Amino acid sequence: MSERNTPRPDAPTPDDRPSAADEHTGHGAGRLLVAVYGLLALAATGRSVLQIVEYFDRAPVSYLLSALAAVIYIIATVGLARGNRTSVRVAAVAVTIELIGVLVVGALSYAMSDAFPDKTVWSHFGQGYGYVPLVLPFLGLWWIWRHRALVTGSSMSGPPEPRR
Amino acid sequence: MLLPLTVAILVACAVLLLLAGHRLWRDRLIDDPIIVVSAVIELALLVQLVIGLAQSGAIQDGAERATYIAYLFTVLVVLPVTVFIAIKERSRWAMGVVLGGAVVVAILVARILQIWQLNV
Repeated sequence: MSERNTPRPDAPTPDDRPSAADEHTGHGAGRLLVAVYGLLALAATGRSVLQIVEYFDRAPVSYLLSALAAVIYIIATVGLARGNRTSVRVAAVAVTIELIGVLVVGALSYAMSDAFPDKTVWSHFGQGYGYVPLVLPFLGLWWIWRHRALVTGSSMSGPPEPRR
Repeated sequence: MLLPLTVAILVACAVLLLLAGHRLWRDRLIDDPIIVVSAVIELALLVQLVIGLAQSGAIQDGAERATYIAYLFTVLVVLPVTVFIAIKERSRWAMGVVLGGAVVVAILVARILQIWQLNV
């Protein structure tokens, strides 16, 4: 990946690590990740609000799961976009829950379809959303893991090698 | 729904996709054509919102109508956010975000048309 990193003229200070922009979970490729998370947050929020307001009685469990997914997507979006130590940790937890959620709900929606009469973001492994909900947590965890490797790697003594 | 408008929006999305793809390929940042095309699409989406709201009574099923209206509003959010992100990002990922935004708007517009055609 030949990412070009023009150092921002307003940002750098002399003692800044050269790859400071790379270490932010919300910059570079992280922008795309944050954008996709934001989109799913929007989609899940819209869907769950609609489901709960318009026809909650039809499938309460599905709709509560939709709402849970919405909250998790919002937390992950904000966490990745803020990109400081604490918020990335919070995002990591959210993405892990998201991964477990999509796998469990995805499997259950096939195994016992009676329990899920109406769709959620996660049912059938996110089929209704082009399987993006299935792929996204893996990308998210990888991105956070890579971010951590970069941060800890460059804070140790030694030549600060950009890892790419 | 106004089918010509939907088709025009889809074509404009394709143009934005090609422009962003070109910038991405050339490793360039956001420029005026990207912003202008995005603004044109956004205007068309606003027209679609007005027409869509005016005609939404034709959808009998309440839940379907609510979904339809929700989509009409949601699609307005995408491009301003993607352009904002693209302006802030100083790498080729900026154009990646715009590319994704164009695809999402096209999908949402197609979905709006689908809801309309299934329910009227």
